[in-house]
This record gives sequence, structure tokens and C-alpha cells, in this order.
Amino acid sequence: MKTFLKELIDIKNWKKKTKVTWCVVLAVFAVCLVLSFLKPSESDMKAQASAEMQELLKKDETSSRKRVTVTYNSLFVINYCSFSSSGANAISEKYVGFAGKIFKADTGVGKFTGQMVNYTYRMLGSGENILHGAKLTLFLTTISMVIGVALGTVLALGKISKNKVISKICSSYIFFFRGTPLMIQLFVVYFTVPAVFGFAWRDLFAAGDDQAVYKGAFIAALIAYGLNSGAYCAEIVRAAIQSIEKGQHEAAKALGMSYGQTMKMIILPQSVRRMVPPVCNEFVMMLKDASLVFAISLMDITTISKNIMTSEVSYNVFLPALVIYLIITAFFTWIFDAIEKKFSLYE
Amino acid sequence: MAQNEYILETEHVSKRFGDLVVLKDINLQVKKGEVICIIGPSGAGKSTYLRSLNQLETITSGKIFIKGRLFLHREKDHTVERIDKETQKALLLEMGMCFQRFNLFPHKTVLQNIMLAPIEVKHEDKETVKKEALELLKKVGLYDKANEFPNHLSGGQQQRVAIARALAMKPEIMLFDEPTSALDPELVGDVLQVMKDLANEGMTMLVVTHEMGFAKEVADRVLFMADGIIAEEGTPDHIFNHPENPRTQSFLRSVLNV
Ligand SMILES: Nc1ncnc2c1ncn2[C@@H]1O[C@H](COP(=O)(O)OP(=O)(O)OP(=O)(O)O)[C@@H](O)[C@H]1O
Ligand SMILES: [Mg+2]
Repeated sequence: MKTFLKELIDIKNWKKKTKVTWCVVLAVFAVCLVLSFLKPSESDMKAQASAEMQELLKKDETSSRKRVTVTYNSLFVINYCSFSSSGANAISEKYVGFAGKIFKADTGVGKFTGQMVNYTYRMLGSGENILHGAKLTLFLTTISMVIGVALGTVLALGKISKNKVISKICSSYIFFFRGTPLMIQLFVVYFTVPAVFGFAWRDLFAAGDDQAVYKGAFIAALIAYGLNSGAYCAEIVRAAIQSIEKGQHEAAKALGMSYGQTMKMIILPQSVRRMVPPVCNEFVMMLKDASLVFAISLMDITTISKNIMTSEVSYNVFLPALVIYLIITAFFTWIFDAIEKKFSLYE
Repeated sequence: MAQNEYILETEHVSKRFGDLVVLKDINLQVKKGEVICIIGPSGAGKSTYLRSLNQLETITSGKIFIKGRLFLHREKDHTVERIDKETQKALLLEMGMCFQRFNLFPHKTVLQNIMLAPIEVKHEDKETVKKEALELLKKVGLYDKANEFPNHLSGGQQQRVAIARALAMKPEIMLFDEPTSALDPELVGDVLQVMKDLANEGMTMLVVTHEMGFAKEVADRVLFMADGIIAEEGTPDHIFNHPENPRTQSFLRSVLNV
């Protein structure tokens, strides 16, 4: 850790590529920062509404039935505001704010940009519900992979253990979770288990918590996904362990090391590097499997984009969804590459 | 008992892999400080015998004594006399082993490779172990490579590290299984030199080798193994210059004429 920090501070000796990368990152960050300061404020955006619309808004203030729907989204450097009235002569106005200017966004490029901002905003789930969209996808994937790798290591060691009972139990576990659909596993954890044991997932949270249902469902999803990825990771870990040359075991044994010591100090550290690429692969699969949670009423990126498509009758909604997935995948691929490099030092 | 004068002794050691009998009733007595070279054709069971000594292979039947104490006694694939774990481990640690393919731990530096077992297995003091490890590296001529990773070294250097790693456990017997067979010819010399030094210091050594020159020069006794038995044994002079067994004669003809 200490050497890592030292390397980080030691800018003079950084590789050229690292320097260039950091320059680009910092430049982009600086530009974004400036742009986000220049971005028109929420009140400016809302003040843009035409005289006609302003009138309707005034009326709404006193009446109990609202006629106008106002949507305001802010996405780092760009924001979007739309007004639409209902009724016989419905009107709608859309505006995009960027770099200190406000553009009309009813047609053409403006309209497309506005849509993208709006959809992305909704998928990232900046709303009150912390379990929305990208956050849900990210949390679910990351946490269940952490559970999966830990559980997988235990299962893999169990499966190759000389103890027949332990080995059988672990093999059966892996067989079961790899041999049945994830969706049904999710249903079993979410519906069957509470029914059998007489509890409800939302009971885990305070009665007054209005998000308890979602949080409960999230916990259930985490358990199902963790158990499932444990089975897949177990096979990854087992394959990695068994790919280490027999000579390593023999050398350790000849030096008097026990089986546990050999595993912990010799075999597992060497396996890690070989596990990284398939675990990364599993991670990306999991990221996409996370969309199955729609079945237990959780909303991830995929489900939200499908819902937006239905409500707004716009098929462009899938473009930002794709981009969000790609960004997440790229980020994690980068992290896994770095881990692999760190462990390949000795080759 | 007479066993006490021998540092290593095997009685009626046999080993089967399924139906294949690899070792047939091997009896050997090794005195302290003796250097024994084992030669013989491929598949004779040389490696299997060496690996049986430190339990990398489990013998089918026979007795093994280390420093006059029973280390293992098996009959018909079952251990018949239980030896308590501590004693057995202590006796196991009296043997160090070097492999044909070195088997260094690639994720640890040279120094870490050497220090690992003394610290983790013998629970020795870290600073002392480090000092001794550097001393050993000096001895095998690799002091300046202490912080390299094994894969960055040549085969000959790796094998010398492997020897240092085994010596760090302060064994009384060193087992070598074709330590130079995986090396380029120009790297063989350095490794053999380290082994010669070791022999001169009085280390008891069992060396499976195809280096007939080394055997002639260093060995106190040469064993010729064929088909799972010790077909002939004697001084290097006897084996190389006046072999009696026709199998020894034809084997030597074939290797020395290559
Ligand atoms: N794990 C094993 N399972 C089955 N047969 C084996 C096993 N290990 C060795 N053998 C067999 O035992 C016999 C003796 O093998 P061993 O490796 O001891 O020969 P060796 O004398 O060392 O030969 P080489 O000079 O080629 O190293 C060979 O026929 C080999 O095929
Ligand atoms: Mg061999």
C-alpha cells in the first residue's frame, strides 16, 4: 500500500501513457466542471416557458387539478426541462440548457438531445429511490460478485477436497445452481423461501420505511445472485487451481508445508491471475443478468428503459441504455485488467 | 539394532501403480555423508524411488528408516505401524529435494522462496532466516539475484535457487532428481559445481542423474537401476570400468557412445 502511494505521488517517473491518460482525464474533468457551472439554473429553465404556458401554470397554482406536467432533469453538464399540458388543445414545450444557453428542443437535434438527457437521467435513477436503475444494476452486480468469488473459493476447495462428503455436497451445490435458471432461483428466494419460513422480505426493514418492499426485494435478489454466481465462480476457481503445475504442490510438500499452507501461500495466489479473465467475463454476464430483477418488481436499467418506451412511445430510449451498459462494462474491464497486471508482475 | 549406523535405510520397498510394478523389493543403506548416484534407463523407477523416500509417492509396502528411526512402514498398501505426526514431520524435514523442473514458486522472489518454509514450517525467527538465506545465496553464487522473480532467471540459476531453498531447511539428506536434465548444456556446470561443493562439505546425497562424469567424480557408490530393482551397485570404478551385469554393460555402452 505504501509503495503504491509512493508510486502515485512520484509523477516524474510515471510512464508516458499514464501521464497522457491523466492529462486527458483531468482536461475532460475541467471542461465538465466549467460547463456545469455555466449550465443554466433550474429557475432559468423553468422561466423559459412561453406566455401561454406561464398562464396555465398560474392557473394550476390555485386549482386542485393540475393541467401542466413539468419535468426537469439535470445531467452533470446539460439539463432539460419540458412542459406539457393536457386537455383539448394540449401544448408541449421542451428546452435544453447547455453552456450558459437555453435551446428550444421541440424538433430535430434539440429534441433528440433532450430525449437522451431525460432518459439517461431516469435510468441512472437520481430519484429518491436509491435502488433505481444504474445504481441497482451496479450494486447488485458488484456485491453479488464479491459474494460469488468468496463462496466460489470455498466451494472449489470443497469440491477438490479429499473428504468425499464435503466434495459431494459442493459438487451438488454447483450442479444445482448451474443446472437451473437464475430466474427461478430468484423466484424461489423471493417467494418460496418466505412462504415456507413464514416471513416477508420487507420485514427486514422498519415498518415506517416506505422503501421497505424494494429494499427487501433487493436483499432477496442479492442472495439469489450471490448464490448463483458462487456456483459459476467455483468452477472458475477450481479450473484455475487445477491449472497450477503439480510440481508446485510437490515442492511445497517436500518443504514440509501442510495442505492448507500450500493452498493459501502457493496455489491460490498463483491462481488469482488465471481467475481474473473468466471472473471478469462472469461479471459482465452478471451485469446483464441483473435485468431479470424486473420479475420481482425491482427496476434496473433495462426495465426502466422498457417502461419509458411504453409510456413515451419513443424507441430512441434504448440508445442511452446501451451507452450506460458500455460505460459500466468498460470501467470494470479496466479494473480487471489492472488487477491482472498487478498479479502478472512475476511472469 | 544395526539400523542406527545408517542415516537412511529402506527395507523391501515396493511400489505399484495399479498393475504396474515399478519398484520391487528395494533395500538400501546409506551412511552419513555418503554420495550415491542412481543411474539407469528411462522407466526404471529411479524417480519413483526417490519420491517414495519423502512421501511424494506412497509406497505399497516396505519400511523406511531415517536416522535410525522408523519413518514409514506399510504392507499391502496400508500403514501398519503408526508413527506420530510430529516425529514423522521432523524426519521428513531431514530430507531436502531438488526437482528436474526446479518447481520454484514463481510468485515469490528468490529470497522469499528460500525464506518461506523456515518461517512458516519451522517458525524460525525472520531476521535470522533472512541472514541465513542471503548466506546460502552467496554460497550458490546468486547473492545479487535475491529480489528477482524466478522466471527472470536462467534455468541454471533457478536450479541453484532451488538447492538453496532446500538447504534453508537444514536437511541432513539431499535428494536430487535429474537436477541438470532440463538445462542447456552450458548451464549444467554451475549447478554441478554447487552439488560438488555440497558433497565435499559432507552432505549425504542421493542423486538420480544422467551425468556420468559427475557420478564418476563425486559418487561414493553408484546404483544401477533397471525394471524396478537395483541391478548392480558398487564404486564408480566398479560400475563404469568393470560392470558385471550385462544390463549395466549395455546401458553404459548406449549412454557413453551417444
Ligand atoms: N503417477 C504414476 N502413475 C502411473 N504410472 C507411473 C506414475 N509415475 C510413474 N509411473 C510409471 O512408473 C515407471 C517408473 O517411472 P519413473 O519416473 O520412476 O522412471 P525413471 O527411472 O525416473 O525414468 P526417467 O529416467 O525417464 O525419469 C514408468 O513406467 C512410469 O510410466
Ligand atoms: Mg525420472
